[in-house]
Amino acid sequence: MTTLTQSEPSRSTSAPGEHGPNRRQIKPLTVLRFFLVLVGACVMVLPFLMMVSTSLEPNTATLPTPPHIFPLNFTTENYSEALGSSNFGLYFLNSLYVAVLTTFFVVLISSLTAFAFARFDFRFKNVLFGLLLAGLMIPGIVLIVPQFVLAKTLGMTDSLNGLVFFYTAGQIAFTTFLLRGFFERVPKELDEAMTVDGTTVFTRFIRLYLPLARPALATAAVFAFLGAWDEFVWALTVISDADKRTLPLGIAAFQGEHGSAWGLVFAGSTLAVIPVIIVYVAGQKHLISGITAGAVK
Amino acid sequence: MTTTRLAPSTAATAPARRKRPNRAVSARHATRWWVPWAFAAPGMILFIVVVGYPLLRSLQISFYQWAVLPTDASTFVGFDNYTRALGDAEFWTSMANAGIYLILTVPLTLILGLFFAVLLNAKMPARTVFRVLFYIPVVTSWVVVSLLFKFLFVTDGGAVNWAITDLLPLTSEPVPWLEQRGTGLVAVAALGIWKSLGWCLVVFLAALGGVGEEQYEAASLDGANAWQQFLNVTLPGIRGTFLFVLVLQVIGAFNVFASVLLMTNGGPAGSTEVPLTYMYKQAFSFLDFGYASAMSFILAIIIVVISILQFKFFREKN
Amino acid sequence: MKKSLPAVAGVVTVLITLSACGTGGVDGSGSKEPVPTLSAGEKVSGDITFWHAYSAGGTEVKTLEKTVIPNFEKLHPGTTVKAVQVPSDQMHQKLVTGVASGSLPDVIRADIVTVPELAKLGVLTPLSEAMPDFDTYAKKMYPGPLSTNKYKGKYWGLPLDTNTKVVVYNKEALSAAGITSVPRTLDELKAAAPKMGGGKYVFAEGGSGGWNLLPFIWSNGGEMTDPEVTKATGYLNGPKSVAALQMLIDMYNAKQLPQAILGASGGVGPTDGVAKGTYASMIDGPWAFPNLKTSFPNFAPQTSPVFSGEGGSISVVGGEDIVMTQGSQNKALAAEFIRYMLSDEAQLAMAETGQLSAQSTLESKVSAMEPFYQAYLEQLKTAKARPATPQWAKIDDIFTKDAQQAFQGKMTAQQAMDDAAAKIDPLLAQG
Repeated sequence: MTTLTQSEPSRSTSAPGEHGPNRRQIKPLTVLRFFLVLVGACVMVLPFLMMVSTSLEPNTATLPTPPHIFPLNFTTENYSEALGSSNFGLYFLNSLYVAVLTTFFVVLISSLTAFAFARFDFRFKNVLFGLLLAGLMIPGIVLIVPQFVLAKTLGMTDSLNGLVFFYTAGQIAFTTFLLRGFFERVPKELDEAMTVDGTTVFTRFIRLYLPLARPALATAAVFAFLGAWDEFVWALTVISDADKRTLPLGIAAFQGEHGSAWGLVFAGSTLAVIPVIIVYVAGQKHLISGITAGAVK
Repeated sequence: MTTTRLAPSTAATAPARRKRPNRAVSARHATRWWVPWAFAAPGMILFIVVVGYPLLRSLQISFYQWAVLPTDASTFVGFDNYTRALGDAEFWTSMANAGIYLILTVPLTLILGLFFAVLLNAKMPARTVFRVLFYIPVVTSWVVVSLLFKFLFVTDGGAVNWAITDLLPLTSEPVPWLEQRGTGLVAVAALGIWKSLGWCLVVFLAALGGVGEEQYEAASLDGANAWQQFLNVTLPGIRGTFLFVLVLQVIGAFNVFASVLLMTNGGPAGSTEVPLTYMYKQAFSFLDFGYASAMSFILAIIIVVISILQFKFFREKN
Repeated sequence: MKKSLPAVAGVVTVLITLSACGTGGVDGSGSKEPVPTLSAGEKVSGDITFWHAYSAGGTEVKTLEKTVIPNFEKLHPGTTVKAVQVPSDQMHQKLVTGVASGSLPDVIRADIVTVPELAKLGVLTPLSEAMPDFDTYAKKMYPGPLSTNKYKGKYWGLPLDTNTKVVVYNKEALSAAGITSVPRTLDELKAAAPKMGGGKYVFAEGGSGGWNLLPFIWSNGGEMTDPEVTKATGYLNGPKSVAALQMLIDMYNAKQLPQAILGASGGVGPTDGVAKGTYASMIDGPWAFPNLKTSFPNFAPQTSPVFSGEGGSISVVGGEDIVMTQGSQNKALAAEFIRYMLSDEAQLAMAETGQLSAQSTLESKVSAMEPFYQAYLEQLKTAKARPATPQWAKIDDIFTKDAQQAFQGKMTAQQAMDDAAAKIDPLLAQG
């Protein structure tokens, strides 16, 4: 009956903030909520605005202190320089290629692995899962040299596909860890119901688990894309060919020892944010429908 | 490693699922032994080749006075690198700094992340825009934002000092943020919270979507207020995710690197060094890969122990 | 389920075997082959790779890729030089990984302080032995930059470009504080310091490493090591070295030296403060001028020699050397490329972008290019290089940490330098 007083009964129970016992409490709460979120968002976005603002000012070697939130001498010259003469377009495409393929393989492979850990008992399961977790806990920087020697042996230096291979492998531990938790939450009754129908494990994985884990898969995809898009140290180590540079490498090239082309660095960094945001917006509409909602359908 | 299992999550159909269902499924409808292996194989093989093998190699290096040049012979030194690290005051300073960083960042990041996730989980105007704004710090490059924060915290003419001396006169003297240990770590932590809050928020949002609406309805009918619903429905509903985020944030705190390297470079006098900056210098500046590897395994052991404690603690409270 | 055991055991065995074969014996670039003779003017062909950290922000990379390398390839038809730009911050890491995996390029533009380190690792070809015409190049160089290539009696590279630091100051900021002329000596600096105040400083330094503090130690008549770079005790903790440090500490304690001296060097620096008049002066390199010009077009920076003392006005040498790797498969072409990079044509082209030539024979031509070059070229004549030793990275780390502890008051200047010298001596003994 309380839900009847709300304008959107279908979403009315999705958060505690909307469960006021009567109508009078709903409004101020919503306003308060909006205000809090607004303040939080402003704080979060402030440094980013400084970056965007610097990218829209004439190129400087030193950053303005204090940084501006709105550009003083507005110009788009850094963007035309970045996109025109500085090969950022190519780096952008390289990064896109690497990030899209990595995302695809990470989500595909990790969901299989996570399913095995979530739904089966098998020998060495805990040992193997422990190994995966150890992969998350060992600092990656000491692995660079052995990994680089491996990449050289496999002929995967100076190659975008080589980057995809190593990024995919590097993200499996995290993504498996993420997805396993979600697969475990799929109600066993649904699984058993389908098992009785005589479907194979693989069919259940495709027809039941993957659709139910959609929010988790979307989350995994968002992070996998970001991880591959943003990575710097490994790319620096294995990529020497200027034509195979990813965006972070292209941006780093403008940071000099004794002064950087800040306008270009910040314009490049601002452009670099766009695809990740697009992926996030695309992914986050899948995050809304929860696992339970899916199960009830 | 048997304890590194996720605590049972009490999601939608919580009461019915005290025990993990996987054993039941696989036992009653006996799948062939190789089926789980077939699912796990692609990922595990890739992982073992690209991470496992270099890990083993790195473990081996940690027992050597390792020669960078492959044609030079390395000297086996047993546990020397490990005992050296255990007696190295600078290494322990770096570990203590990671601990301070952890205490400064992880609780706040988790609380704020969950707080805004709960707020943004409900309908409100411009919700998608807000979600994007919170995510923006996550996607901007560490290098660029570290330099940006360095400029914000510059002693003479930095924006933070301008704000606390001119805008709100809290102090007359500018604070040398990055030139002393305590404030240096605070500045780095400020960046850490700003940068990873959005990440926590995204994971929490995904988990909040999984908390059943019918449970809120039930609680609501029982007369629970918003706070009680949060405690009794929301928190238990995302327990597994909360643990996941906590464990990863703790791991992340011990692995803080680029921000420290660029903002203080571990200075002054090594007082803001963290394990990774210290290891990085040992390996890539001083070419002491054996020592760096040994330290990384000591760090990993500490992280494993802390992670196990977190799993234990959360499971017992369940 | 039992069947899975052999599979896992197999994987583990393979991995252990793989890792067991890695501590010496893998093919690498560092095989100790005899030094070849690489005469000038030989017919060359094929291709080489060249790693450098020229900055992509200004005109350096453009000039290299659009002018210098194409000209070389035109002079030597059938050759290709593949230039790889590495960000300067990451150059050392990339070199180390290259050494460890045997994938170094043929020619490297290496920071002067890394040349002895690479030489000790055995990955460089000693140019003084491989190039019969080495002396004709060596003779042209300023002594400071040339000395950075010397390790164990051989020269492993040649100065490709050089720089040093001079006093860069803001005239208005000085006169606003009633200081009529820029301090020229350490004593004048000390005397001028109290005249500033109100959050302003007569001088700012952006770090406390050797690069920052050695000009003070040297100008005061102190030293870091003996001339043969075999020990620091008696030099770094000698009275003149300590007095130079003490003077800076006194200024710092009297709040006459900004906090930036304890900050992380790189990135910020005091450049902004000098342009804005917060700091009246700094000691900085030639890059300060283009940097200031883009950010503060209305500011006219002035120069003056490094503050002098008993030792004279001694600044520190920076810059890069050009080296050839031991593993290069085309050393004849590499040598020709090095010769071309040191030719008047290439040196002048790069000088236009801000890369000062280390060749004294080009002084008049280079100093005519930019008004501020003159001050740097003059300072270079007496500028000294940091000790040429493979251990420099560790030595600088020890020195920096001890100096910073002295600034923080945790040790006296004497204690700090005693401690540093005691830690540095065993490193120098390793050679």
